[in-house]
Amino acid sequence: MFIHYVDLAWRSFKRTPLVSIVMVSAIAVGIGITMTSLSVYHMMSMDPIPSKSDKLFAVQLNTMDDGNQWWTDDNLPQQITYKDAIALYQADIGQAGMKIRKVPSTRTGFSVHMDRSTTKPFLESTRLTGRDFFDMFELEFEYGGAWSTQQEKSAAPVVVISHSLNQKLFGGANSIGKVINLDETKFQIVGVTKHWDIHTKYYDLTNGAFNNTENLFIPVSLLTTMELPTWGNTNGWKFEEVNTHQDKLNSELLWLQFWAELDSHEQVQQFENYLQAYLQEQGSLGRFDRRAQQFAVRDVNTWLDYNRVVSQDNRILVGLSFMFLIVCLANILGLLLGKFLKRAPEIGVRRALGANKTQVFMQHLVEVSMLGLFGGIAGIGIAQLGLWGVRQSYDYYSALATMDISMLVAAPFIAVFSCILAGMYPAWLVCKTAPAIYLKTQ
Amino acid sequence: MLEIKPIFNSLLRSKAGAVMLLVQIAITVAIVSNAAFIISDRIAYLHQDTGYPEHEIFSFSVVTFGDDVDRVQKIQENVRMLRNVPGVINAVSLTEIPLSGSGSASSFSLSSEPDNSGQNGVRAAYVMGDEHSLDTLGVEIAQGRNFTAQDVIVFDSEGPMVNVMIASKPFVDEIFPSGDGLGKTVYFGNNPIKIIGIVDKMMGPWLKDRAAEHFVIMPLVRDSRFQKVLVRAHPAQRSVIMARVEQLMLDNYDKRVITNIRALDKAKADYNAEDILMMRMLIVIIVVLVLVTALGIFGLTVFNINKRTKQIGTRRALGARKSDIIRYFLVENCIICLVGISIGAIAAVYLGQLLLLHYELPALDNSFIAVTIVLVLCMSLLSVLMPAYKAANISPSIATRSV
Repeated sequence: MFIHYVDLAWRSFKRTPLVSIVMVSAIAVGIGITMTSLSVYHMMSMDPIPSKSDKLFAVQLNTMDDGNQWWTDDNLPQQITYKDAIALYQADIGQAGMKIRKVPSTRTGFSVHMDRSTTKPFLESTRLTGRDFFDMFELEFEYGGAWSTQQEKSAAPVVVISHSLNQKLFGGANSIGKVINLDETKFQIVGVTKHWDIHTKYYDLTNGAFNNTENLFIPVSLLTTMELPTWGNTNGWKFEEVNTHQDKLNSELLWLQFWAELDSHEQVQQFENYLQAYLQEQGSLGRFDRRAQQFAVRDVNTWLDYNRVVSQDNRILVGLSFMFLIVCLANILGLLLGKFLKRAPEIGVRRALGANKTQVFMQHLVEVSMLGLFGGIAGIGIAQLGLWGVRQSYDYYSALATMDISMLVAAPFIAVFSCILAGMYPAWLVCKTAPAIYLKTQ
Repeated sequence: MLEIKPIFNSLLRSKAGAVMLLVQIAITVAIVSNAAFIISDRIAYLHQDTGYPEHEIFSFSVVTFGDDVDRVQKIQENVRMLRNVPGVINAVSLTEIPLSGSGSASSFSLSSEPDNSGQNGVRAAYVMGDEHSLDTLGVEIAQGRNFTAQDVIVFDSEGPMVNVMIASKPFVDEIFPSGDGLGKTVYFGNNPIKIIGIVDKMMGPWLKDRAAEHFVIMPLVRDSRFQKVLVRAHPAQRSVIMARVEQLMLDNYDKRVITNIRALDKAKADYNAEDILMMRMLIVIIVVLVLVTALGIFGLTVFNINKRTKQIGTRRALGARKSDIIRYFLVENCIICLVGISIGAIAAVYLGQLLLLHYELPALDNSFIAVTIVLVLCMSLLSVLMPAYKAANISPSIATRSV
């Protein structure tokens, strides 16, 4: 029967090609615009690390004197000072065998050049971090691995490079043990990471949540020995005389991110207790003037919300485009009413020949579903055009303005579903008409 | 005269189509007025006067990795070289580039003692550069004087700190509300700095910042691996010079990377890319929405006419003129349109308030609703005119023919 209805629907489609095409285009445009903004929204709000997002926690400490305001909702700075980062990094928290893993990280950068003079020197932003970073954030290796604990302790000039940089410098060959110059220092490559497929740079949101990840990773201990400058944000809340690198390390400036991996509720509790005690100790040493200690650990998704990663503009656009879809549907509903009611005499005959109301109703729903399917498929095309426009207009969104599988599947579903919604009333109107009237006028 | 009563009655008999049209018109009014308002808000923001001749200026970054030169001297030498390039008006090494979204800011206060009352002075973005800064930025001193070579300090941690600055008027007026800030002293940390010059308008690096107009220039040159250079050139020659500048700089000394060569208007557009994108998407939505709604009105009228072919024929046979038929459809459409517009206007105000409540948008200006209403009304009349004219041409003989 279904096949028959599809056949009927196709005949009906061909009988009034103009109206049919207008309806399909209306759905296509509605779906196209909705999917364009929804795709960007979907990419922005997507969980960047689904397997672990509830286990990785961003750490915030309030080390400001009372009376200082920060612009976050709860008055906590997003970054922490160097001394806190190092103290927390070196702290031994948790029972033996179940130590809590945690890493500080911040961004610096170098001119990369090779001894061969064929490659022109270029700039690369670089992540300074601990060796657990790769494991914690599920950054896998193509060759080699993270630097050793010993190398990190002794601030050895070792570097992990990304897949794309390895392509650029060594044509993708195994480059472990090779040497590259970062500024005037020779660094030995110990690892090459695989392509890191994250849209949101959730581990460091300070310079734009959708920027590219770094291509170089070096031990955080080099920060002190090489006196590396920060390429990220540095925030202060009081005046301090900061002239040398050492001044900066000792200062209350906030410029590092800190993450901990807490596998269980007990570990969260343990870690929070530790932070509480740590802040109390720092307070009693007179480092800051606070009545109550304040800190927070937030898991990945809470952290993204807290930092308002999905832009306001995008939310407005999603809302407006759904309203737009409603207009398209109202449009289709109006046209369907016309189309179906015009067919009432024919339906009268079918009813008189024994088709019941449900069958007539189903027949029309199949017809609108077909329109929805066509519209949905055409809508994907329009959405691709829209997303192309977005990418052209805004480089920064180039990784975001794409449709993944779930959005590609969702598009025809939304189209069919909304068409059925719009077709329900006209279909019902048609199926409830009494056959007698139409038989009489014939 | 307009036969509103019978038209209204006949509308009530076939409500559904009319209601759908009404919904479309209402939502169209709500969306178009709000979207147009957001667009005009962004246009005003994007086209605001920044104080700089943006089309004449470009900037680039110099990252030196070689340790065998004095970077301060080198960059000064390079900047002098650039000034001699034909077409260049002036060039300077600045610590940050205005409008680019990257910069430094600090609080400036009236006393050197930081008080803990939360009153931490007035925040302003600042850059350091020498006496060529103002001319390269293309801004003019409104009060006081420009820097001289004697004002410029080459920084080392032991030596003296700057003691003069040039500031934008909005900043000076905020810290000295009586408007007599010229010659007064403000504190940058512990350092007293005298305001020797005021520029009416020069924007800082962040146009979205609440204190976007607060901008301060201090006459200081300091060593850094990361230097930025600002060049002002004749607009016609800017792109040619931009294309040459990397080679010019590397020919002079090559243990460095020249990057980020960017026109100032491009830098501003990059910083505002999200607003430009939002604007474009809204424009697309408005245009397509109006088209879809027009199509809907067109379709519904055509459908109504087809349904009433016999009725129209009968009316014509009974003596109705063509203009009567056209008028019938116009009036019918107007009734639907007016009801839709009224609902739409209310929805627009409500949507505006919703956006105001949840997002950082200014309150919807009602004139946008008014303009949208007129526009939608015109559009709906236009889209009904063609089918109505066609209806008027239905021959009276149709009425006498059976199906």
